[in-house]
Amino acid sequence: MSMEAEESRISGKRVWIMLRFLFTIWKVNLASSLEYRISFLLMAGMMFINNLMWLFFWSLFFHRFPVINGWELNDIMMLWAVSAGGFGWANMLFGNFHRIPSLAATGQLDVYLTQPKPVLLHLLASRMSLTAIGDFAFGLAIYGWAGDHTIQGALLFTLGLVISGCIFMFLMIAAGSLAFFFGNAEGIVQQVFNSFVSLSTYPADIFRGAARVFLFTIVPAGYISYLPIGLLRDQNPGFIAGAAAVTIGMGVFSTIVFHVGLRRYASGNAIVMRG
Amino acid sequence: MNGRLSFLSAKGRKIEAIYRITLRQQLAYKVDFMLRASFLLLILYVFIQLWSAAYEGDTERLIAGFSLKQIIWYLVFTEALTMASPQLSLRIEEEVKNGDIAIRLIRPLSYLSYHYSSYMAEAVFRFGIHLVVGSFIAWLFVGPPTFGFGWLGLLSLSAGALTIAFLLNGIVAMCAFWIEETRGLEFVLQKLKFTVGGMLLPIDLMPEWLQRICAWLPFQAVLYIPARTAVAYEEVSMLQYFAVQAAWIVVLGIGIWTIYRRGVTRLHVNGG
Repeated sequence: MSMEAEESRISGKRVWIMLRFLFTIWKVNLASSLEYRISFLLMAGMMFINNLMWLFFWSLFFHRFPVINGWELNDIMMLWAVSAGGFGWANMLFGNFHRIPSLAATGQLDVYLTQPKPVLLHLLASRMSLTAIGDFAFGLAIYGWAGDHTIQGALLFTLGLVISGCIFMFLMIAAGSLAFFFGNAEGIVQQVFNSFVSLSTYPADIFRGAARVFLFTIVPAGYISYLPIGLLRDQNPGFIAGAAAVTIGMGVFSTIVFHVGLRRYASGNAIVMRG
Repeated sequence: MNGRLSFLSAKGRKIEAIYRITLRQQLAYKVDFMLRASFLLLILYVFIQLWSAAYEGDTERLIAGFSLKQIIWYLVFTEALTMASPQLSLRIEEEVKNGDIAIRLIRPLSYLSYHYSSYMAEAVFRFGIHLVVGSFIAWLFVGPPTFGFGWLGLLSLSAGALTIAFLLNGIVAMCAFWIEETRGLEFVLQKLKFTVGGMLLPIDLMPEWLQRICAWLPFQAVLYIPARTAVAYEEVSMLQYFAVQAAWIVVLGIGIWTIYRRGVTRLHVNGG
């Protein structure tokens, strides 16, 4: 067997082991969540209703103003479907992505550092958010209600979910890693998250000039809030390529920031047990 | 007579002490304040963009009696009132879960009075700060708030609005005596205020059928009534608005008291 073939076989095996590891964690997380079924259903259901109330507001708004800079009610529904659905799957499968500051501040990263698995991946996948299941279900329900049900439409919607979920996750990993450099950063990171969610759930086309440039550069919320138009409605190749490049770039950047920050991590003397 | 006066003065001193402590706590968290203020600036900026697009930049146009300037200032007032509310559910839920409620119950001030005093002290302080911050961005984009007596109307109706907000949040928070998590219910209450309370959209711009429903709900008394009074003082009846708020305070007050009495009798706190 050639050297390349051997290397490819080994890396394929590593990926398989990693996937098995992730599936095991997700299975355990789900089983743990289902132990508290009432709480689980209540939290997920409330988040579903919470998102529905936002759509109710938008339906009232578009009832009064049917078209806003080219956006119609259906577009805003799809915006909520991709943003809530994307955030939902990311928070279900990698539910620790917005908890890095509190984990670092309370010394809870020790448990991940002592195990023979990639620290970031292990850390992210170790929690499943109950409310996020409501978000994800909401995304699917709205797609079922207002989306394009052809195969192409379903594939584009799935791509939209992947892009929005990854952007939310990578942004929060990078912002959360600030805790390694500045100490207690929970308040700031929470505010970054709230601001980002606000910017990514309003039609991108209401912003003009410098604000629009800002949305597609420094704060890349535009790559989520323009998905219903650039990806789902127009399939604009320039936007799709830009969104994919930004998502990959943010993934690389956030991973580097996390690992550079991790070198500065100093544990306390807290003994942490994983339930 | 003297005994009654000294009782009232002692109660007044206790409430004053709670106000003082709450304000000191608020002043200790300056960074939190700055973060909240920056979020308010951002969200108002987004609203200004959204409504400017809806009005197509026409500052003279009137929609359901509102000009663009009135809408933006209306949103400043509803946002300032919304962001004034502390997270009462979270606090009471924590107190019930970790048993701190036992300490509150043995203090010489009723549990509900303590939370009301603390809530109002924090809410009034936050409302003032958010009003200043929100005014800054609105002034910058749509001009000064030349509302004359509207300001008086806003300030006088805000006391009732914050009291009703306390009662609504309190009723949700009291559910902690029965269920473990009240955050979900709080989310829903918040969104009801956002929508049928008129926070994001004045009730006048809603369809007729919904306006009729909103008129029978308490949420409009928290946000819509004070904010509309501020921007359209000449068109409203202050007396009617005061009466609506008073009626809701009585109804919700009876509601929270009943729920509290029932809840507290089934409370068990172990350890200490």
